[in-house]
Amino acid sequence: MTMGMIETMTGGAARDGTDRSSMPRRLLLVVCLAACAPRSQSEPGVLLIEEKEQTASFIRNFNPLVEVGDLRWPALHSMYEPLFIYNPLDGAYVPWLGTAYEWSADHRHLRIDLRRGVRWSDGTPFTANDVVFTFGLLDKFHALDLRGVGEFLDSVTAIDDHTIDIAFRRVFIPGFYYLAQQPMVPEHIWKGVADPVSWANPHPVATGPFTEVSSFETQSYQVERNPYYWQLPERPQVKAIRFLAFPGNDQAAFAMVSGEVDWAGSFVPAVDRIFVAEDREHHHYWFPPIDGGVLLYANTTRAPYDDVRVRKALSMAIDRELVVEVGMYGYTRPADATGLSDAHRRYKDARAIAAGDWIRHDPARASAILDALGFARGSDGIRRLPDGSRWQVLIQVPSGWSDWVRATQVIARGLRDAGIDARMKAHDFNAWYEQVQSGDFTLAIGWAEPYPTPYGYYRAMMSTATVKPLGISAPENWHRFGSPEADVLLRELEQTADPAEERRFIDELQHWFVENVPAIPLFPGPLWGAYNTTRFTGFPDADNPYAPLSPNLSPQALLVLTRLVPR
Amino acid sequence: MRYLLRRLAFYLLAAWASITLAFVIPRLMPGDPEATMFARFHGKLDPQAMAALRDTFGFSDEPMWRQYISYLGHVASGDLGVSVSYFPARVGDVIATGMVWTLFLAGMAVVIAYALGTLLGIAAAWRRGGWLDSIGPPLFVLVGAFPFFWLAMLLLFLFGFTLGWTPVRHAYDSRVSAELSLSFVWSVVTHAALPAITIVVATVGSWMLDMRNTMVSILGEDYITMAHAKGLPPRRVMFRYAARNALLPSVTSFGMALGFLLSGSLLTEIVFSYPGQGYLLIQAVRSLDYPLIQGLFLTITLAVLGANFLVDIVYVWLDPRARRGQQ
Repeated sequence: MTMGMIETMTGGAARDGTDRSSMPRRLLLVVCLAACAPRSQSEPGVLLIEEKEQTASFIRNFNPLVEVGDLRWPALHSMYEPLFIYNPLDGAYVPWLGTAYEWSADHRHLRIDLRRGVRWSDGTPFTANDVVFTFGLLDKFHALDLRGVGEFLDSVTAIDDHTIDIAFRRVFIPGFYYLAQQPMVPEHIWKGVADPVSWANPHPVATGPFTEVSSFETQSYQVERNPYYWQLPERPQVKAIRFLAFPGNDQAAFAMVSGEVDWAGSFVPAVDRIFVAEDREHHHYWFPPIDGGVLLYANTTRAPYDDVRVRKALSMAIDRELVVEVGMYGYTRPADATGLSDAHRRYKDARAIAAGDWIRHDPARASAILDALGFARGSDGIRRLPDGSRWQVLIQVPSGWSDWVRATQVIARGLRDAGIDARMKAHDFNAWYEQVQSGDFTLAIGWAEPYPTPYGYYRAMMSTATVKPLGISAPENWHRFGSPEADVLLRELEQTADPAEERRFIDELQHWFVENVPAIPLFPGPLWGAYNTTRFTGFPDADNPYAPLSPNLSPQALLVLTRLVPR
Repeated sequence: MRYLLRRLAFYLLAAWASITLAFVIPRLMPGDPEATMFARFHGKLDPQAMAALRDTFGFSDEPMWRQYISYLGHVASGDLGVSVSYFPARVGDVIATGMVWTLFLAGMAVVIAYALGTLLGIAAAWRRGGWLDSIGPPLFVLVGAFPFFWLAMLLLFLFGFTLGWTPVRHAYDSRVSAELSLSFVWSVVTHAALPAITIVVATVGSWMLDMRNTMVSILGEDYITMAHAKGLPPRRVMFRYAARNALLPSVTSFGMALGFLLSGSLLTEIVFSYPGQGYLLIQAVRSLDYPLIQGLFLTITLAVLGANFLVDIVYVWLDPRARRGQQ
């Protein structure tokens, strides 16, 4: 799945929309506002989308199975469709190429009914064989199995043309998410492809709403409607989708402000003043805090951060209101003690939240705890560690991510007030990323993955399975916190399909998290999305939250694309 | 001829050195390309998928010298490998999207800047103390001291946004397709105008100053006085006697300037969303895309070496001593 906030600036690893503009460029943006007038318009009915693929020139690649590469947006957002679309706003699975699913009694089999009357864009009918073939490809070419379904998937068989049966190797309920969102490819095209891993698929044949590439230039391309789309003639109403190459956030913001772009997903600083104020009637944005959380990670293998009381004290020393205001332009809100984002609102346990008093800014209590632990202040106001040295600590942050940099400065100030000589240390993204992964840090600001349910989040936070030895690259659980008790809860959760049971385990995990503070939550990440209603209407917003607005989410963008209406 | 052969040998040596540097430098950067590459999967990537992708991308644990040997072999056969950040595109194809535009923009701009600057320098030196001589150099040096991208933004804001005279992005209009038509050529010219002017404005001053200073010292030579005394027309003295000799040092620096210019045009390209090497290089460095970094270093250094070789040929033509030296 796409990570909403993650930016492609570093070939996919950086955070999307994270504000990395330098001062002079920012200045220009602000200066331009007075003068920017709407210019060249696309033809009517053609939706101009600005997504996170920031690049100076486009390479023709529409292979939906290799998300690691430089993939054009439509492949995953308008061409190749999944069986079900997970909607993070209500946690529901929207039936797409699949219409219904049913678990067997022992949860080792999953039966999925497929939609009838669906055709590939060359007119060939879509059948169960295509689904079987797609999962077969993942098994045959491991490089394509990016969601790791091979780990729990036993076999996929066609019961008839419109029904499949998926056999599991072990009971693993969260696996449904990965199966449901796998994009489907046509057997009659792909069976002839020798190496689907490095195939650029220049002329895509897919089931999605926009499949026909009508022009492809170095810096722009356009994709027309699929003549056989299964929701026609009602949907989509949009005639075609069009893309321009923007090498950075600033260039994209220019195009948004000047009214060229209809739907955008990159970060805009001070969006009210810069974007909305230009045209209050048509320019809108919606940044719901449903992306993964942003946390302060403390390396729990290093003293004194291995002590939960210290972590709680650090947390109390942080003024999250100020972090959000200064660092994030107020686009989000302070985290609660469960660390769950708003995408998991319905799972949140009020008692767990109430128990997490350490999330509130309370410098006096923070000081009192540290005093009680014996970290006495020296004459310079800085506390001393047990070995008598001054308590100094660096907070690692990727340089250029100016929102995080500002947030980190606020955090460092809070820690200094509590008597800890905390300083920010900015590194180039690659260096920062290597340090946090290998555990070579003491404090670092970092993200948490936006998983569909709290299962993935808590697994990353405190499962022993995700703890790697220091020096070994750990994709998550950078803070190296593993708890056998949490493992038990997580294992139970993997095997639970009953909502009430699921709820109970998730509640317990939340309590466990609040009690042990594996990492220090700061704020839930907002999902950037902005739109211009001059030419199109029907975008989701806070009043009509039928889907996330951000065009950077696949396959959720399909929900929006099929609902837009030209004026 | 021997002179040119000697130069050629030097360029081959320089090419080998730059090929080696292109191999070594990326590997000295902090960070791990694999970790960066797979960052977006955050542990969701199956170990088997990871191993299969590693092979496809050519990440290797082989000792450095073996990587170097196979790298040399690939370079010799013109195979620059698969780009990591633009996977599955090959490095050659990725570079091809931008190289033409960078060479076009930077090449055109440097030629214009050089020609203009040199002419201005000649004129300024010829009428020493005149208005051009007193206003030109300080003004251009001041403008040239601004960073490229700053100047680019200023011009973009002024002419692109405020006045709306020029396009604000891209190499040609997105509604025109790339074919040999009048509208396409016109579109390319109008789109290149502002970025090119940026580079010209930023660099013309140093050419002018160089040329002026050499001219001034050459105008003091006896053979100039002699030429005047012979009653040759002033224009002939100015160009054939003074300027031709004054050009020699500036031709040499012209070759060297190409390299600086390529790096300077990178920022200009980004401001104007121009599809050149600039964004590619930054993208490649950010994602630790070794094959692409190597490919870009290589094409840039080879372009600079090639240009310098051309300069050497011009030098031979300009300076009879270089021709006669070897006979």
